[in-house]
Amino acid sequence: MRSPFAYIPRRGPLQSARPGAAVAYLGALVVVAFLYSNPLVLVAAGLAACLAGRLAGARPAVRSALRMGLGLAVLIVVVNALVVDRGETVLARLGHWPIFGQVDVTLEAVVAGVSIGLRAAVTLVAFAVYSACVDPDKVLRALRPLAARSALTATLVSRLVPVAAADAGRLRDAARLRGPGAAAVGKGPLARRLLAGSLDRAVDVAATLELRGYSLGGPRGAGRREPSRHDARFYAVAALVLVAAIVGKVVGADDFRTYPTIAIGTGPATLAVAAIVLAGGLAPWRRARRPGRRQASVGSVWSPGEQGERRGGRRV
Amino acid sequence: MSELAIRRGAAPALAVEGLTYAYPRSATPALVEVSVEVAPGEFVLLAGRSASGKSTLLRAACGLVPHFHGGEVEGRVTVAGLDAIEAGPGELAAAVGYVAQDPETQVVSTTVAAEIELPLEMRGDAPGPRGRAVEEVALALAIPHLLGRAVDTLSGGELQRVALAAALVTRPRLVLLDEPTSQLDPVSGDELIWLLRRLNEEWGVAVVLAEHRLERCLAAADRVVAVEAGRIGFDGAPREFLDWTRHADPTLTTPAARLFALAGIEPLPVGVRDARRTLEGRTLGELGSPGRPQKTKRGAGPALAPVTPVPHPGKGAGGEVRPPSRLARRRRSRNDRAVLRAAGLWVELDDGDGPRDVLRGIDLAVAPGERVALMGRNGAGKSTLLRTAAGLVEPAAGRVAAERMALLTQNPSDFLVRERVGDELPGDHGRGALRAVGMEHAIDADPRDLSGGERQRLALAIALAGRLDGDGIPGLVALDEPTRGMDRGRKDDLVALVERLADQGAAVLIATHDVEFAAEFAARVVLLGDGVVIADGPSADILSGGWYFATEVARVLDAPGVVTPQRGAALLAERGPA
Repeated sequence: MRSPFAYIPRRGPLQSARPGAAVAYLGALVVVAFLYSNPLVLVAAGLAACLAGRLAGARPAVRSALRMGLGLAVLIVVVNALVVDRGETVLARLGHWPIFGQVDVTLEAVVAGVSIGLRAAVTLVAFAVYSACVDPDKVLRALRPLAARSALTATLVSRLVPVAAADAGRLRDAARLRGPGAAAVGKGPLARRLLAGSLDRAVDVAATLELRGYSLGGPRGAGRREPSRHDARFYAVAALVLVAAIVGKVVGADDFRTYPTIAIGTGPATLAVAAIVLAGGLAPWRRARRPGRRQASVGSVWSPGEQGERRGGRRV
Repeated sequence: MSELAIRRGAAPALAVEGLTYAYPRSATPALVEVSVEVAPGEFVLLAGRSASGKSTLLRAACGLVPHFHGGEVEGRVTVAGLDAIEAGPGELAAAVGYVAQDPETQVVSTTVAAEIELPLEMRGDAPGPRGRAVEEVALALAIPHLLGRAVDTLSGGELQRVALAAALVTRPRLVLLDEPTSQLDPVSGDELIWLLRRLNEEWGVAVVLAEHRLERCLAAADRVVAVEAGRIGFDGAPREFLDWTRHADPTLTTPAARLFALAGIEPLPVGVRDARRTLEGRTLGELGSPGRPQKTKRGAGPALAPVTPVPHPGKGAGGEVRPPSRLARRRRSRNDRAVLRAAGLWVELDDGDGPRDVLRGIDLAVAPGERVALMGRNGAGKSTLLRTAAGLVEPAAGRVAAERMALLTQNPSDFLVRERVGDELPGDHGRGALRAVGMEHAIDADPRDLSGGERQRLALAIALAGRLDGDGIPGLVALDEPTRGMDRGRKDDLVALVERLADQGAAVLIATHDVEFAAEFAARVVLLGDGVVIADGPSADILSGGWYFATEVARVLDAPGVVTPQRGAALLAERGPA
């Protein structure tokens, strides 16, 4: 069975964009997540990443990443609530714990944890969309001019996630098939094995890449060039989101304070940045063909010039 | 091979001089003072037991040792005029094609076409010649139908062919192959060897091929180099190699040579054609005469029990009808207490091109104590059947039930989670399982440092741990391609293990492409084709009735029911000299 994070070739705008454009677009959402602490903007960035994945046809990847991201967020919230004793609104006094000392759970620490957790979740979802929608082969080729002497770097960037995703399913199967006398495999050892195994396999794949001549100085012009008409759209949306985020940051759109009491800014600047970031999630949208219109055009009369344009693939 | 093609005197395609190499953190060197030379256009077979150093030698020849593995190296390796120890794999890429033992580590692209095209693209070839080269190599390896597939949807055998295509597509001067047929069905394996021979003869490509199944490739080789514990034990012609194995290492000999040795016939044959020529005029014409009942190897009655043809769902309502047979009657009684029972089993999988039926109406029953080989070409549905029986795959229709099943899947490394063998298998059960597969000496080793064959045995021990003795014996032990990377000695150990389990009452079902192994361990062979059972019967009959799914002895003697060297020698002795 295929991993939800495995790349599946589709004809969507995000899939046909060059890796640089796709990375710029999804990277902009991640940058927003790391620039901002305001939950409103973080939620907008998360929704934008989900929307982008949904429109690009990567629903399973988004669903799995959300599950993992929300799990991680909950863990962060719990840990932050236990280890941070700042904040004035005490929700629970849990007494004296070994290692932790006196544990008071405050609303402020919980909200601060939510903010950090949201940041992690946004990053995971954006990365899942990247993994499911950006062709690793294109990434590998795009990296060659930048890292021709380092097949390992190229492999880690382009193949680690697909390799790990493929390994995860097999490892789960093998864990279910172990004999009753073998050591039990918990999630911890399995995750460790997955990571170590994926890195080992990435090294093997890098060796293969070397053997295929990745570091050879062949004429780069002969490489495949697959320009996409969607590149400009993704670059533009990435630029818009980044500019809005930076300007917003400067004018105080990231108005958020957790200690000693919570203050979440919902001013016009914050709302504007959130709206722009959220709208950025629409970038992979492709206008659906309307059968009625197509029907009509089949029956209409075309001039030779118009027919030529249609054959050339342009919309009329 | 003619001296013209093997350009002796020309600069060697590969020259290894006094190579000594030890992997990092390894107390003993993997290679010791190895010196060997391969002439341009020469076809060299690298023989040796598991972990003898064959793979390391190949990795040194393509620059992976020491560049990717590190370790200590002494000596000199020259490939097409380049110092491999100085240059590294990248610079050698134009001259060397390498296919590793594990095909899963050799794919770097998403689709098959992109994977094969990659080396050409890296070299800077224009799109036109690239497309042509990809098409030609795909046709040569019979994989044009795979070009559009995603690599993560391919079976092991398909992956191996894709990796080979990617290694050959640049037409390198030297091709290094590490057990390239280990995951291929007999048809693809034979075709691959002869394709290599053709490339070797027509293009002058030097080939160095490491293999355990020597019967597949000995006849194609110009020379054999045997590696023993990291040293060169033998270097000479194939026939001389067979003579050498008699006293040096009998486990390296071929079934046909064993047949001749047992029957006292000289000289030992390097292949089927050679054997048949030697036997011509002796008894061969009479051996295949019908009507003479033969005894099976295990003496379990007449070997001519009929093979049961099974109706083919794809052939419509007018398909063949299963004739009544003794075997069918036996199977009906067997059904009453089967540990594996499949009835009308359909399984649908999505390999990226939409769902397709991988199993189509399978009816199968395996009784306790039975030893069954599950055979068929790559993609026939063998692994899917085992995975479905183990509950890893949901049937689309029909039923399957297996009692206390232990399954070892195709990738033994998936079972290895910890960094010490003893931690994988703690306690008495663990020790017992390690002992059963002959791995108790490696209890403190890191599983990643083990050879392919050793990892396989360790994984088998993990699947069997706690299921070997007493009430823990499983109803069904299923192994998916367990002999990959194993030499004959280890296969014999596995046969002994299988027999022990069967004697204790466990049914053993092994999916394998290794016909010689199947002939040794199995009493029954189930042959799958495109998701349906196309033959089901005693192994002696199934493995002697064809050309591809037949042992070397069966191909030499062409006598019904005679598949092993022992049985063949007995038959030759019965006939006597002409």
